[in-house]
Amino acid sequence: MSNDHDSHAVVLPAPGPEFLPHTVAHHFDTSEQEFQAAKLGFWLFLATEILLFGGLFAAYFYFHENYPETFKRGGAQLNWILGALNTTVLLISSWTMAMGVRSAQTSQKRKMLLYLGLTALGAVTFLVVKFFEYKAKYDHGLMPGRFFTDEHGLMGDVPFAPQFFSIYFTATGLHGLHVLVGLCLILWIIKGGARGRFHANYYLPVDLVGLYWHLVDLIWIFLFPLLYLVP
Amino acid sequence: MTTNIPTAHVKAAPATERKNYLNVTNTFMSWAGTLDHKRIGIMYLVGVSAAFLVGGLFALLIRLHLWNHTGALFHTANGTSDNHLYNQIFTLHGAFMVFMFIIPAIPASLGNMVLPLMLGAKDVALPRLNLLSFYLWVGGTALALYAIIAGGFDTGWTFYAPYSLYTDQAVVAIGLGIFVLGFSSIFTGLNFIVTTHKLRAPGLSWFRMPLFIWAIYATAILQVLATPVLGITVLLVALERMYGVGIFDPRLGGDPVLFQHFFWFYSHPAVYIMILPAMGVISEMITVHSRKPLFGYKMIAFSSLAIAIISFLVWGHHMFTSGQSTYAMFAFSFLTFFVGIPTAIKEFSWVATVWKGSIALNAPMLYALSFLIIFAIGGLTGIILGALSVDIHLHDTYFVVAHFHYVMMGSTALGFFAGLHHWWPKMFGRMYSETAAKIACALIFIGFNATFIPQFIMGSRGMPRRYATYVPEFQDFHRASTIGALILGAGVALMVGYLVHSLFAGKRAMQNQWGGVTLDWMTPTPPPLENFLEQPVVTNEVYDYSTLDLKTLTTPAS
Amino acid sequence: MSAPPKAHATHGAAAAATGHDSEHPHHIASAALFLRVLIALLILTGITVGSSRIDFGGANMLISMVIACIKASLVIAIFMHVWWDTAINKIFFLGSFLFLSLLFTFTLADYATRGRDEQMHRIKAPVDKQWVHLPVTGKQEH
Repeated sequence: MSNDHDSHAVVLPAPGPEFLPHTVAHHFDTSEQEFQAAKLGFWLFLATEILLFGGLFAAYFYFHENYPETFKRGGAQLNWILGALNTTVLLISSWTMAMGVRSAQTSQKRKMLLYLGLTALGAVTFLVVKFFEYKAKYDHGLMPGRFFTDEHGLMGDVPFAPQFFSIYFTATGLHGLHVLVGLCLILWIIKGGARGRFHANYYLPVDLVGLYWHLVDLIWIFLFPLLYLVP
Repeated sequence: MTTNIPTAHVKAAPATERKNYLNVTNTFMSWAGTLDHKRIGIMYLVGVSAAFLVGGLFALLIRLHLWNHTGALFHTANGTSDNHLYNQIFTLHGAFMVFMFIIPAIPASLGNMVLPLMLGAKDVALPRLNLLSFYLWVGGTALALYAIIAGGFDTGWTFYAPYSLYTDQAVVAIGLGIFVLGFSSIFTGLNFIVTTHKLRAPGLSWFRMPLFIWAIYATAILQVLATPVLGITVLLVALERMYGVGIFDPRLGGDPVLFQHFFWFYSHPAVYIMILPAMGVISEMITVHSRKPLFGYKMIAFSSLAIAIISFLVWGHHMFTSGQSTYAMFAFSFLTFFVGIPTAIKEFSWVATVWKGSIALNAPMLYALSFLIIFAIGGLTGIILGALSVDIHLHDTYFVVAHFHYVMMGSTALGFFAGLHHWWPKMFGRMYSETAAKIACALIFIGFNATFIPQFIMGSRGMPRRYATYVPEFQDFHRASTIGALILGAGVALMVGYLVHSLFAGKRAMQNQWGGVTLDWMTPTPPPLENFLEQPVVTNEVYDYSTLDLKTLTTPAS
Repeated sequence: MSAPPKAHATHGAAAAATGHDSEHPHHIASAALFLRVLIALLILTGITVGSSRIDFGGANMLISMVIACIKASLVIAIFMHVWWDTAINKIFFLGSFLFLSLLFTFTLADYATRGRDEQMHRIKAPVDKQWVHLPVTGKQEH
């Protein structure tokens, strides 16, 4: 009969001198329980993100059905080359992120930091390209809602021309916000990783940030063809 | 040593009051920054109770205004009814009750308190997320209060487009508040799902879990999957007001019915977020206070999941007069009837449990029995409204108002009161006055029915909802309803009074006040900070009253 | 549940009962697999862009969505590790797409079937009836 809850703490040892040990939270009995609980929780959070963006996609499909001309014309205003570039950047950054998680799982600290750094670079690149895209739209007055001026008459006389750009800016804006958050999370992981917190015995935060980053990539995989590649 | 025998630990307790989760520390920060689910539950309890009282106050204002058919309470400068103010008041009543009280109430207060105890766990799976959920509730409520100061909102709690897009009110502020409250709800649900999956005590298989857990679990699924759609809806309304993005505004090419689809995709599952936890509470009340295992345990468990899933398929029944396609309306009406089946299974199972049980007519049980009656009426009138052809006439009348008050106030709130009284001794180690509780329950039951039965009648005769003035024909019904509301208010006031009084001067509760056999009653009353003095291991089937140690019913809490 | 006191191991029983132990290894995918998936994703992106340059009419949207779903599946299964994950994680994440599809299906079905109402009404309810005057039952106050 034991009453020793305080000596209960489970500690995952550091696999090398450049790493730090991890203490499992007190309300968990095993490290595996902590790992699986955090993972399940994070998957549930990703499910909420799917439903959040899903509403936007539902709105997109509805308006695309009702105003196909507007969406065709609007899509033609977007630079599909930059869009494809951003898609490529995100896909590669997803790869570097997966490799970064893998490096954490195999206790390869320097490789992990390298891959995570490349992922962060991908995030920054994406945001920079988006900035230039937004600026181009701003210069032509192709802005959402009541800011729409269409100074150069690029949208012609399609019905409800601002509609396309409202959806474009809302969807890519919300997505861009998630990219920014992802960038911050990656930088946080790099900081912790440099201190040696993540290794084969404890790589949970890297795994979870990785999942978040892949979600960001997933959303763009659908946004890109729907917005940029309307034929 | 397996599960605790509380008496043994009482004997070992020192002469001074044993340290429990309430008194182990008492600084402000130890509460404000707590990671203990029980303390978070208490903080939520205070918060949602305050929201309930504020919402109830608005309700009384509504009912007082409707005393006269020309409007009795709110007047403009020239003496006519101030309809704008009336619109704001009923909007506030709805918004406070729905978003700040009913959706969080049972899961966040009772659920937080009881779920880890029932699972034999030390805490929820993600304690810091739990605290964040609470502060998101506080933040959302603060934004709502700010919205009131910033001019209020008069859109009804459903803030339909296009009116919510045009009205010159603080819609963005309250929208943001709802967004934040939504995330509070999502994170609570997320936490409970993970806790139920990963932190069950050894031996506690899924079909040994108390039905309260099943109900909270089904609720949590709804919270996680449905609330984000409300989030995006509120966001789009805010963007539309601020930047004119034109998703819902017909002048800009948008579609108001699309708003309704998005809104009700969340808000219909939301009403099951409200009722499922109450059903879970009632399951516990019925079994403990009849001292009999629940009839049809597995059916009740599965019916919670069935209700959760079906709730996603029926949202269009709120939109029968909005201009949907007839085929869509057929589909939604047809599917709506299915939700009655698992609901009825629960109702019949509860009644079958009570039959030939050893019934204790104490306050929790009285609330539970009231629930059985009131919920039957509420549920059946829901089926009536689900019939497409009938709803065309009843939509937006007081019949709808009466229906949802029967299920939200009469059922969910009564379930909340039942659970509150049932777990009150466990939470605080004190008992309330049983006599006062019975009187309050009677006042609430009588007052509630007196308030809303006239509304069923009025509604079926055409009295529209959300109207500040009305034809004289309905005045007697409205007056009867107002009197009922005052009786109901008196009952609630009495309840608050004796409950608060019990915290300071209540009698010491018993270790196992009611004779429950779930894990929450197998730990000292009130529980220690770490919940259990030893890891409980479950070896019996659920609700096995042969294992009840009757001594614990007469041993005082430490 | 309050069985007579027996001596039980705590951590061992707890660990065994929850089905996990601290040394259970997690699957680590090979670097080569990741690289192959990346190449596949880039190729599929190229195909999407290429096919959008050709006008297949209504099928363009379908093609690009199908390819997007394939890309998404690869990212989910391999990069996000769902292929090797526990059943419960798979159910919850993939289930969310199922519920999302409910939103899409019912909402779009409503819009898709709107036009047919006129036909129904024409058959059932002729609209050229004289309006019947209902007796006024009392003064309307405002």
